[in-house]
Amino acid sequence: MRARILASHQIGRILERLRRDYEVFAPFQGRGRDTFFDRVTAENQDQVQLHLPNPYYPPKRYVLPHLERLMTMRREGAEWRIEPAPDVQPRAIFGIRSCDVAGIRHLDRFYLGRQFLDPYYARRRRGLFLVNVVCTDLERDINEECFCVCADTGPAAAEGFDLQLMDLGGELLVAAGSAAGEAFLADPMFQRGTPEHLERRREILERTRRSFRATTGWFSATVRYITRGDVLDATWTEVGHRCLECGGCTYVCPACTCFTVSDRPTASGEIERVRLWDACALNGFTRMAGGFNPRRAVHDRRNRRFFRKLAHYFIQRELSMACVGCGRCDAVCHGEVGMPSVIEMIRRATSKAISAPAAPAAAAAAQPEPGRKT
Amino acid sequence: MPREGAAAEAGPDPAADPRTNIYLPRLAVVDRVVDEIADVRTLFWHFEDPEAQRAFRQFRPGQFAQVTVFGTGEFPASLPASPTEAETFFTVRQVGSCTAALHRLRAGDRFGVRGPYGNGFRMDDFAGQNLVFVAGGIGLIPLRSCILYALAHRSQYGRILVFYGAKTPRELMYRENLRSWEEAAGIECHLTVDQPGEGWTGHVGVVGGLFKKPGVQVPIENTTAFVCGPPVMFRFVIRDLTGMGLSPQRIYSTLERYMKCGVGKCGHCCIGVAYVCLDGPVFTCEQIQKLGEDI
Ligand SMILES: Cc1cc2nc3c(=O)[nH]c(=O)nc-3n(C[C@H](O)[C@H](O)[C@H](O)COP(=O)(O)OP(=O)(O)OC[C@H]3O[C@@H](n4cnc5c(N)ncnc54)[C@H](O)[C@@H]3O)c2cc1C
Ligand code: SF4
Ligand code: FES
Repeated sequence: MRARILASHQIGRILERLRRDYEVFAPFQGRGRDTFFDRVTAENQDQVQLHLPNPYYPPKRYVLPHLERLMTMRREGAEWRIEPAPDVQPRAIFGIRSCDVAGIRHLDRFYLGRQFLDPYYARRRRGLFLVNVVCTDLERDINEECFCVCADTGPAAAEGFDLQLMDLGGELLVAAGSAAGEAFLADPMFQRGTPEHLERRREILERTRRSFRATTGWFSATVRYITRGDVLDATWTEVGHRCLECGGCTYVCPACTCFTVSDRPTASGEIERVRLWDACALNGFTRMAGGFNPRRAVHDRRNRRFFRKLAHYFIQRELSMACVGCGRCDAVCHGEVGMPSVIEMIRRATSKAISAPAAPAAAAAAQPEPGRKT
Repeated sequence: MPREGAAAEAGPDPAADPRTNIYLPRLAVVDRVVDEIADVRTLFWHFEDPEAQRAFRQFRPGQFAQVTVFGTGEFPASLPASPTEAETFFTVRQVGSCTAALHRLRAGDRFGVRGPYGNGFRMDDFAGQNLVFVAGGIGLIPLRSCILYALAHRSQYGRILVFYGAKTPRELMYRENLRSWEEAAGIECHLTVDQPGEGWTGHVGVVGGLFKKPGVQVPIENTTAFVCGPPVMFRFVIRDLTGMGLSPQRIYSTLERYMKCGVGKCGHCCIGVAYVCLDGPVFTCEQIQKLGEDI
């Protein structure tokens, strides 16, 4: 790794430089604990901070907007003209956390992989420059719910960024993760790093890793349970009972991909086709014309979300898990059925059922067949 | 993913080019409209752009397309025509907003089509086999393409049997095809209705009843079956066929799921480990049982 050094109070120079080529977004502090991504301008640039709680509303929207126009359709006499929405300006995200970098890498594999390439995602993605900030401030950066260490996505992303910044205390260690990042590092504002800097990096990472809540170390066991269909029906039912069907978990998730499409008239008399984020937790998601809904019970749908994210089949399909360990869904969930909570519920109930020597027949009967009710 | 990041190296916009923008419908023109049965209409159509027309004609039986009715929306529809036929058409039942809007189109009107999508039936895989088609109601729509394809390549297959049932004689679809299949050599076509009347002299009862009709012998050895129809009919026919010794691996059907994109991105059609729009809509009965949702 070719590391460079910049004094911490000089992050403005990075922002300045980015704004020459990109529309730049960064997290800002609101009035309370709330934080949000916003566009960086000459006026607010000095309010950009390195350490603050990761905003709940994820930066995913810069590659997959919450609502995005796909095309317009316009009548011209007997003819119709279909016009794709115009291209977008290249963007940079400053201060994206490692979990969210992994989220975008997951989206890359999903939207750009398999038979079809999603052209709207592709065009936002191709111009995107990511400046990853490593979470090192135990007070400000890391929440109760964070579990990137278990999802193997953080605290320091190993790939997927253009630049990575790490606070060594007064100094920033800056590393490049792409050709564009390398080019950026050539700027004379950066100084050469020393072995001592790298040593400090190692120490800080070590300390940070140790400070996460440890209970979610069972991620891999849960993946196995879900894949094999070992999870008890009772656990899914319990998750279903607690779910209030608000859809919040999917809207804050940096790795959720589902959308719906809607056509509507515009003020100028055209029809526009937009796509919007959608949530498999909501009742209408699978309901077909005529009212038939193959997935009716709420626990079927909760179950669906976790199966889709954690079943081995899908992890192989995208080569990454559709959960990056950001913990947002746990933070926003009113029923305490966000990902880390559910992992914990599944782990406890399933390992107990599997290891219980008494009544093995009853336990087997309670287990769905592999692949059932997903 | 190879990606250089910098704006200058970005390359052309994949959404601007109709060849790379998978979501962009191509303009199609309605040639004529035919009433099939109550609430079901067939629209013959072609693409305005001859190049798009040529490319689309490579479709496989069992595939589907995404149909845009301007101002209303987009929905999936099967391709009931065989690629061996001269004309392409949709047969659509009016159930909601888009399908109703499609029914309002007349000859000369424009609409949008993209596709073909889905796995379709790999008809070559069934070479040398007997083909048993079992359809109920509008379940004949996705199977029609296979039947005509098989007849166009008659020498490649063993016996070809069609069992088709509807509620009443009025609700039998593709009547011209049915008549010719009943008369033609090389295909054994058996029809039934639940409620006779209107001078119906044929069989009365459920489709599965046809398997036991005098003179009918359903092949089991070296046979592939194709079953499409309402859920109740589907369950009974599967029970009958497997009861007669046909393995669930040798029975094919198509699944219908809520769809928005047709290309594996929107997530709506995903059940179990399958995306119906990519991995389906054609599945074997064995696969469907494993997916574990109501059919
Ligand atoms: C692979 C496939 C092939 C099909 N082929 C045919 C066919 O050949 N003929 C035919 O009459 N019908 C077919 N259908 C069903 C047809 O797509 C629905 O009847 C249609 O989408 C209803 O749309 P609507 O706008 O009229 O109803 P609304 O209730 O207004 O639905 C609005 C939207 O919801 C989605 N939707 C609702 N119901 C369904 C459904 N059952 N399947 C998929 N998406 C749905 C669509 O995106 C639709 O535009 C097929 C479905 C699938 C999945
Ligand atoms: S499932 Fe929850 S913890 Fe995992 S990436 Fe999504 S929001 Fe974060
Ligand atoms: S229809 Fe969108 S994923 Fe299948």
